[in-house]
Amino acid sequence: MKKLSRNQTFMLITIPVLVLFFVFNTLPLIKGFMYSFTNFKGFGSYDMVGIRNYTDLFTDARVGKSYLFTFKFAVLATIVTNVIGLLLALGLNGKIRAKSALRGIYFVPRILGGLVVGYIFGYIFTYILPALGLGSSMLSSTKTAWIAIVIVAAWQAIAQTTLIYISGLQTVPADVYEAGAIDGATGWIQFKELTFPLIIPFFSINLVLSMKDFLMVFDQIMALTKGGPAQSTESISYLIYQNGITGGQFGFQSANAVIFFIVIVAISVFQLNFTSKKEEQL
Amino acid sequence: MRKKVIATTLVATTLVGTVLGLTGCGSDSRTADGKIHISMLQYKPEAVKAFEKMQEEFNATHDDIYLTIESPNDAMTVLRTRFIKEDVPDIIGIGGDVNYSNFLDAEMLMDISDFEGLSTIKQAYLDIDKNLEFVPLEGTYAVPYVANAAGVLYNREMFQENGWEIPTTWDEFMELCETIKASGQQPLYFGFKDVWTCLAPWNALAVDLAPADVCRQVNKGETLFANEYDDVAEKMLELLQYAQNDPFAYNYNDACTAFANGESAMYCIGSYAVPQIQSVNPDMDIDSFVMPGSNNADENILNSGVDLQFCVTADCEEKEAAYEVLSFLLEDSTIQTYLDDQNAVPCKDSTFKLPSSLDGMLGHINAGKMADYQDHYYPAEMSVDAQIQTFLLNQDVDAFLNKFDTDWVRYNRDIIRKVQEYEAQNAEGGNE
Repeated sequence: MKKLSRNQTFMLITIPVLVLFFVFNTLPLIKGFMYSFTNFKGFGSYDMVGIRNYTDLFTDARVGKSYLFTFKFAVLATIVTNVIGLLLALGLNGKIRAKSALRGIYFVPRILGGLVVGYIFGYIFTYILPALGLGSSMLSSTKTAWIAIVIVAAWQAIAQTTLIYISGLQTVPADVYEAGAIDGATGWIQFKELTFPLIIPFFSINLVLSMKDFLMVFDQIMALTKGGPAQSTESISYLIYQNGITGGQFGFQSANAVIFFIVIVAISVFQLNFTSKKEEQL
Repeated sequence: MRKKVIATTLVATTLVGTVLGLTGCGSDSRTADGKIHISMLQYKPEAVKAFEKMQEEFNATHDDIYLTIESPNDAMTVLRTRFIKEDVPDIIGIGGDVNYSNFLDAEMLMDISDFEGLSTIKQAYLDIDKNLEFVPLEGTYAVPYVANAAGVLYNREMFQENGWEIPTTWDEFMELCETIKASGQQPLYFGFKDVWTCLAPWNALAVDLAPADVCRQVNKGETLFANEYDDVAEKMLELLQYAQNDPFAYNYNDACTAFANGESAMYCIGSYAVPQIQSVNPDMDIDSFVMPGSNNADENILNSGVDLQFCVTADCEEKEAAYEVLSFLLEDSTIQTYLDDQNAVPCKDSTFKLPSSLDGMLGHINAGKMADYQDHYYPAEMSVDAQIQTFLLNQDVDAFLNKFDTDWVRYNRDIIRKVQEYEAQNAEGGNE
């Protein structure tokens, strides 16, 4: 048997991963793309309908509304998560007591399942907050339901964002601060001129990750509102699942999923390009 | 180096093997133990205990057939997934609703008109199933098993204590709500956070106030929902006045719990909610009455549909064995097992002990004065339930019904085309 070169061995090692990725990721993607040109209900016989699904997408008010809601939600939740996450990271990176314990506690929401968190918050919104005299349930009004979802989603996402910011803050060497302090950079100026520019790579990865996660919001909606009240909190993923799997619109929602995939890729590429221009190297 | 290569190849083959193996394990050996295996999937997880009992009894009395019954949560999704995987159960237990129509349309079910048990089923229920076919088909495709009835559940104890009378017309009903409200108690409780619960009062009112075949009439282009559902929508709004504070904050479970705890005198929902209510308060004395939508008591019809029916799938290879299972399920004692566990109306024409929570509806049931749920004809992707919720929130009748008409045409165009083709073909035959 001929001896394989080092490179060939590495290539061989990637094969199983490649096969798995292809079978569970690429193949479904291609199949979904094919179904998007049919009126497939999810079972039984179906016909090809050409690009009807795609033209319908742009005239469907429900789909349009779900895109609006998802973006409104994702932008606000990303801002809230990153601002609070950065503040928490600054605090947890300072010289405080019980630092490790606190870091552990702040990470707990990330470990809990999205549905569990959703159901617990659902109970709080429906029974506990009104009982405390804080008006009626936030989930029953079209004006406040989406904010309730932002609160729950951000509460859970902040954990991971904070963790990434903490690791970012630890990469900033102490001598930078010392040098800055001699020039009089303390407090806010220190953060604005020294800390933040040096952690921009972490800021950009956090922006991309949380934006992507929030655009694909699903668990929280499933547990809190099921898209209601009055279909005001239907995210794109929820609509694709709801109408594609249980509503007999498999073909149409496949088309929606294809468009949504392109949108997410475009946003991620844009964000990475935009923030990488602002990065500082020491 | 060579060891490494071997190791990698091994890992690679195992992984690929796993992947291929996964796809291979769908087709099981049918007759490994010499018995014919019949698999059945039914969509009511709340009835899992009754079905386990039936399965046990069947397997104890049959040597040649082995029956397995699955009762998964969210069975419709499971079923659709299995249809895609082409791993189809032999018998399916589903509701008589639009899913059944879709399965028929997709040619997934077998014609079982030669099954003898069909002759024991009440004609009214066979007709209800017949109406669910988008275009009339030859043959019979389902055995109606049990029906449910929707109207108004009431707390019998509260009614007796206060001397309230059961209403038979809409004005009496509104008067009763007013009386209850004036006495400082809560007339109605809704769980409108779960959109599907909006359909319960909607359906019950619609059978009283709109023609039974309204959807078919619209598909033929003879009328509009704006004309037929006007009254239904107005009366939904009237009901809302007597609901608890902020009915959109509470879901189905919340509403069942509140009603079980005596927080309201009545609850507009179907008989299927009774087991859930009794799980909270086992001693509660529940009765029900027909939703009095019209002011002419004779026009008030019971809203009853096929809650569970059995179909044999087109791919089933063991038709005789499947019929044997169906015959067993239709035995009086088997049906009684189901009735004792679940709150339901049997479709078989025989004498059964019915639960006391149906007392107030017996007159209508025995007279066969009932009509199917209208939402059984609505396409699922149109989400009529959510549209009703939207309407109840913004209270704009015209906007709601106009959207109903526009959406109907958009979501049903394939069916409307089919119906109109069928009508054109059969215009001379006078089949209608």
